[in-house]
Amino acid sequence: MSTELLPRKQALLFAAPAFIAILPFLAACFFILRFSLSSEQGTIEGLSIQAYRDLMTPFFGRSVWLTLKLAFVATLIVMVLAVPLAFVMTSLRSSFFRRLLTISILLPLILNLLVQAYGWILLLGPSGVLNSTLKAMGIIERPLFLLFNETGVLLGLVQTSLPLAVFPIVGAVRAISPEYLEAASSLGAGHWRTFRDVTVPLLRPGLVGAASIVFAFNASAFAIPLLLGGRRVQMMGLVIRDMISPLFNWSGAAAAGMILIALTIFVLAASSWLVRLTTTTKETR
Amino acid sequence: MRVGLLPREGGGTYRFVILFLATIGILISSLPVIVVTIMSFSASEYSSFPPTEFSLRWYVEVLQLFTSEDPSSAQSVVDSTFTSLLVAFLVMVISTLVCIPLAYALARSNRNLREGMELLFTLPLVFPLVMLGIAFLLIAESLQFDLGIWRIAIPHIALVLPFVLRNCLSAMNGISVEIEEAAISLGASPLRAIWDVVIPLMKAGILAGLIFALIISFNEFTVTFFMYTIDLSTLPIWMYSRTVSSLDPATLALSVFIIVVDVFLVVLVDKLIAGRGNLF
Repeated sequence: MSTELLPRKQALLFAAPAFIAILPFLAACFFILRFSLSSEQGTIEGLSIQAYRDLMTPFFGRSVWLTLKLAFVATLIVMVLAVPLAFVMTSLRSSFFRRLLTISILLPLILNLLVQAYGWILLLGPSGVLNSTLKAMGIIERPLFLLFNETGVLLGLVQTSLPLAVFPIVGAVRAISPEYLEAASSLGAGHWRTFRDVTVPLLRPGLVGAASIVFAFNASAFAIPLLLGGRRVQMMGLVIRDMISPLFNWSGAAAAGMILIALTIFVLAASSWLVRLTTTTKETR
Repeated sequence: MRVGLLPREGGGTYRFVILFLATIGILISSLPVIVVTIMSFSASEYSSFPPTEFSLRWYVEVLQLFTSEDPSSAQSVVDSTFTSLLVAFLVMVISTLVCIPLAYALARSNRNLREGMELLFTLPLVFPLVMLGIAFLLIAESLQFDLGIWRIAIPHIALVLPFVLRNCLSAMNGISVEIEEAAISLGASPLRAIWDVVIPLMKAGILAGLIFALIISFNEFTVTFFMYTIDLSTLPIWMYSRTVSSLDPATLALSVFIIVVDVFLVVLVDKLIAGRGNLF
């Protein structure tokens, strides 16, 4: 039986408005690619890879390294926090608490990033909650500098990308049949053993998928390093913006952006390959 | 015996570690918002925590910002709020109107086409926001004419399309072809069957998509940061320009207002799509 109720011509007609709406985005993608291959810095002119060659500097290399490092560490922390959160969320009976938890996890992703930056500044800033409490308790004399450096950026990245991991993992956790856990338990496995040998292998595709989204999101972060990094944490997003705003090096910014996109796509593709690899070995076993 | 991922009693270190990590996660997610809310009620100028005295003075100040004329800044908070709302409204309506027919066409066409199109419309989600900002800025600057409010609205539409389409598609998933065929066999024209039968059944998903578009557009910062001009900026940009040097308690009061609106909208979405589908 075919579910094709719609003739092809009519389907195209129905899809046309959405195509028009996404067209500027596609044009933007094309524009960036073309500009990165321009031989002039300010206009599209000629064809060269000069912009990419100009990026081969120690400064840009450090920025790429810092971006990868921060995104990787943030992803690790997010995964360590997201799995327990997903367990708690799926085992909550009361729908009120489940909803409260959902909102408090989801809010950082959608709420105006400035509001969250204000919150972190109030909490961890030189005269913030933590420093004044520690000072009042006599533990420290000079304030700890937790913001406007890599620690602050890391915290912000973890906070904003946590929901991207928690919700897919919740879906994966719900799909686990409790019978597996009961079987493991009745065979004498302890909680840790069940977690390591049953739960994590069952969750693996979901975990890898969530981690790759979190990594891609964090690698291209812009507002968090801008607001919490205090210009000292030069992640790629900020470097790209600085090329445009004071330097007017459009082709350089486009080329740096293409490198960022390539990194993102590489990570996403590698992880989906990893998932496919692990699932096919399971089937052949 | 019932065995869960989180043991109800006992469980020793396992239960403790799980609950400990989950608590840290909740604290990281919610502490900044809670602190902003508490501090906005503080009576003093300085950010000492906990506030010694409580007052509503910063809320009064926000009201004054909105009611009094401020000739010093090019874009007043009233203008930027109005721009934000207008952009969010345009983005919400347009993205939903284009996604409903697309979702219908995808749900009723063959699988390959559907998967390809879903991939295409997910692209804005994984594309780095900085690059979107730069690319749209380049295009807007190279055009010969002024885009007006569409300068910000067009990039926002691209950003929300993945979310709106996903909501519309999951709404279409539950609607079988048979219902439509029944309407047609009873004499309705195919278009009428869509309008009177399919669209009403999609209502919850459509509403969820609408609200999602509203939330994302209203809170968007990164792309707008590249696109704004002296005459056209949104509320987040206004807040940024105001606090770029120091933190001002009146902005905290304004933040609390935004938090309340966002929480309300998220609860609404959660209720609309409760039990079916995911938020992402």
